[in-house]
Amino acid sequence: MKWTRLIVYAALIVLAILFLVPLGVVIVNSLRSNQEIAATSLIDWPTQVVFSNYAQAWNKFCMAEHCWGIEPYMLNSLTLTIPATIISTLLGALAGYSISLWRFRGDEFVFGLVTLGIFLPEQMKLIPWVVVLRDLSLMNTIAGLVLIHTVQGMSFTTLFCRNYYVGIPQDLLRAARIDGAGFFRIFWRIILPLSPPILIVTVIFQFTGIWNEFLYGVTFTSGGQQPVTAALIALSAAITSEPMYGEQSAAVLIAALPTLLVYLFGGRYFLRGLTAGAVK
Amino acid sequence: MTISLTRRRLLAGSAAALAMPRLARAQGAKPRITAISQWSAGSDGAAISALGKLFEDRGGVWQHNPVPGFTTDMMNKLRAQIMAGDPPAISQLKGPEIAAWSKIAPTVDISPLVKTAGYADKVSAELGKSCQPGGHWIALPLQVYRLNTLFLSTKGMERAKVSKAPTTWAEFNDVADKMKAAGMIPLANGGNRPDDGQKFEIALAGISPEIYRRALMQLDTDALNSKEVLAAFEQLRKFANYMNPNIAAQPWAVNLPAFVKGDMGMVMTGGWAQGNLFKAGATVADFSSGPAPQDSGPPCFDLNADCFIFWKSKGADLDAGQKLFAEIVMEPSTQEMYSKITGSIPARTDVNLAAPGFTDGQRNSAQVLRDAIAKDRVVLSLAHNMAQPNGITAAMIDVLTEYVHNSAIPAAEGQKKLVAAVAGAK
Amino acid sequence: MRTAATHPAAGKAAGIEQGVWRRRFGGALTGLAIWLPLVASAGHVVVFTAWTTWVSFTASSLMPDYTWVGLRNYFAVTRTANFQIAYVNLVIFGGGFVLLTMALGLLLAVLLDQRVRGENVLRTIFLYPLAVSFVVTGTVWSWLLNPGLGIQKVVQNLGWTDFRFDWLVQSDKAIYTLIFAGVWQGAGFAMALFLAGLRSVDADLVKAAQIDGAGPWRMYRRVLLPTIWPIFITVFVILLRSAITSFDLVRALTAGGPGISTMLPTLVIYDFMFQRSELGRGSAAAVLMLMSLVVVMAPYGLYVRWQRQKQARV
Repeated sequence: MKWTRLIVYAALIVLAILFLVPLGVVIVNSLRSNQEIAATSLIDWPTQVVFSNYAQAWNKFCMAEHCWGIEPYMLNSLTLTIPATIISTLLGALAGYSISLWRFRGDEFVFGLVTLGIFLPEQMKLIPWVVVLRDLSLMNTIAGLVLIHTVQGMSFTTLFCRNYYVGIPQDLLRAARIDGAGFFRIFWRIILPLSPPILIVTVIFQFTGIWNEFLYGVTFTSGGQQPVTAALIALSAAITSEPMYGEQSAAVLIAALPTLLVYLFGGRYFLRGLTAGAVK
Repeated sequence: MTISLTRRRLLAGSAAALAMPRLARAQGAKPRITAISQWSAGSDGAAISALGKLFEDRGGVWQHNPVPGFTTDMMNKLRAQIMAGDPPAISQLKGPEIAAWSKIAPTVDISPLVKTAGYADKVSAELGKSCQPGGHWIALPLQVYRLNTLFLSTKGMERAKVSKAPTTWAEFNDVADKMKAAGMIPLANGGNRPDDGQKFEIALAGISPEIYRRALMQLDTDALNSKEVLAAFEQLRKFANYMNPNIAAQPWAVNLPAFVKGDMGMVMTGGWAQGNLFKAGATVADFSSGPAPQDSGPPCFDLNADCFIFWKSKGADLDAGQKLFAEIVMEPSTQEMYSKITGSIPARTDVNLAAPGFTDGQRNSAQVLRDAIAKDRVVLSLAHNMAQPNGITAAMIDVLTEYVHNSAIPAAEGQKKLVAAVAGAK
Repeated sequence: MRTAATHPAAGKAAGIEQGVWRRRFGGALTGLAIWLPLVASAGHVVVFTAWTTWVSFTASSLMPDYTWVGLRNYFAVTRTANFQIAYVNLVIFGGGFVLLTMALGLLLAVLLDQRVRGENVLRTIFLYPLAVSFVVTGTVWSWLLNPGLGIQKVVQNLGWTDFRFDWLVQSDKAIYTLIFAGVWQGAGFAMALFLAGLRSVDADLVKAAQIDGAGPWRMYRRVLLPTIWPIFITVFVILLRSAITSFDLVRALTAGGPGISTMLPTLVIYDFMFQRSELGRGSAAAVLMLMSLVVVMAPYGLYVRWQRQKQARV
């Protein structure tokens, strides 16, 4: 049935092109100068290819008095996202493990509460978090933001991990316990090695979510400590300023690089782990 | 006996020290200031940076936190800082919000400084009032924009064979029809909520500043139900039809190349558009600007101003910083520098704009402001949060923006919705 | 202290006996490591929701102000056109987004399951939109969907001068543009989960069906898709959550416009709480949104409990 193969390939190619168009537009725009885009159209081939947008975006564009470009904000985002991702993933794995495999009274209830957290809108939680950070003296620190994202991130990571760990057969644990292993040893020796597929998923989710977050990033930091999302918004047009589409496109691409890389590498391991039949 | 006398003397001495006014006590410390504003990019960012540099040249330490995004994001940050007990020494605020926010955190009384500088009679009374909610000065205006400014494209006017700027709404509609017939887009589309709101208020201000005051500033129901407001809605519908709906979701500056080329005829917005036009590559020859049409009487001035509010802070260096900042902001040279960068006009009415670096448009604006103050024809902008607190403004703008983008709503219904929105938001 | 021998192991089908658990959990450090994060997480959900509910009954405006005003905020919010439009839009956007994303994700997964060449590349292409922030997605799609700048203009320039695709600027159609952008961003996620599920179906099951003479169509319909039913549920929940808490995407793509025609509940909350500085009304909007969530999720919760009881009985 060769023609079905043809249809499959054709469909995939058409869909792939459709998916790539937005990225293509941004890449092309990043190679056109601001003036050219403003003078002609947002979607057009460059009349003259310029690479200066990248240099401008990286360390020259000005956010008020600071002409650092987005480089320092990228570092801030990294300092925020990497710890928050790792901690929330680890805690979520622990929580999911204890809820799914070490039953205790009220575990369903606690799990329900934790999971409910993913539905709470972030606008609603803003002011309570201000109060919490104030009482912990963590306002305007990256640590404060890490705390927020960790606590909130646990809702997701616990959900994912718990649903994954219920598939682990009880015999494995019983055998380990007969050998005298305790809670943490079982986690370290048995659960974690089985976890890469779900950990990749949670890491991807958390990294992307925290990296791309704007509201909290801007409210709980100041000036030079703001995350990269703040710089991106500064580059987009406001009421009284003119749009800088070329620079904005370059900055968007630079800022999206870490998450894109995470997807590039993570995606491969994710599916590989699952198709290897890690959990049978 | 001797012990208690000494103790009494000690107590008296320390009480005297504590009673010294905050600002005087600040004399010895190096001035430092923490500031929050939303001005992170474009000419606003450049202007606030220049102000910061001026502050540092005078020996101060300038710590400015620009919050990107819209005003709401900046106010979020301000609210978070206030709730955390750590407000910035100064922050950008305007209009009735100054009064509202001054109730939630302590502010600094800068009336003595204002008196020394003789500033009070140099600014418009309306503006001054908004900075003195409790009877004494707690904020200082920085720059003023005229909202009801009409920009005309030189090439556009040639193309439509229009020789002079319209001075009444009837003339305006005439010009717009001619432009439409010539195949141009008559009016630029602002593309966002404040712009829809501002078109309405420009229409109403041009029809009757008195009704504007009573309806939009005092929220008088009879005024809101008047035929002038109905006429403003009808004019607003005409504006909607003269705009290019395709630009609806884009920032309004997308219109500029077309405006310079002559494919778009008119832009009706605040004075900042001048700065945008120059950045877009236009020259003074490419456009002309003047007051928006006024149906009767001399042109009124639809005012939008930016102010800085002074929050009570801990630390002698911040006190000194606030004193230095207040002095700097009230000086004519500072305001001149600021307005040259942003395209606004200074809050002080006695600044000479004949200097190079100012455009005729700015000079005209300043003159109109002086005249309007004298004849009591200054109105405060609704769409830019000068006339009403944010809650009421947002409710009214909802109605106006819906009306602009939905041509099925007739003018009378728009008016009814506006009245209902005001009643519901009060 | 109970020992494993005296404590019955019956009751729950999976899990370890409670007494054993208590013994094994010796040590404050272990307890702390388990309980502190859980308490912090569950606690923040409960406390923040409770506080918001309380504030919704007060006269809070710029700052929290604990003067009781009863249901006044709720009446004020539900009466605004903003709110009413937002909920209609939520149904349209939520339904459209979830269904279309799942459908496209399933299609992509089935296509990629066919052992095509370049699967890795294709998979990356479909997944990368997830890496992009909602703000950027909204911005880029606002360019593409703009009739004067984007797709409509390009197609018209190519010759089809009557082509119209100006949904973005029409009050009654703009909400569908949100679905476009959302599906583009989310389909990869659904695809990844479906594909993983399809790939992990028991090989013996597939072989048995092949022996029975099942062609590819029947294979999918009768064997593979039903087996990955639990994944449907997971994807549905995550996508629903994405639709309900959608904020940055709407703000960047339409900002609630044209006019107020693409308002969504999260925008209403943000608008009241921060833009209008009316915390009380914003909190009421938030509570209403959570309540509507309960209405949607309750059937799911009951279904899960019924499933589990069914399994326990087996």
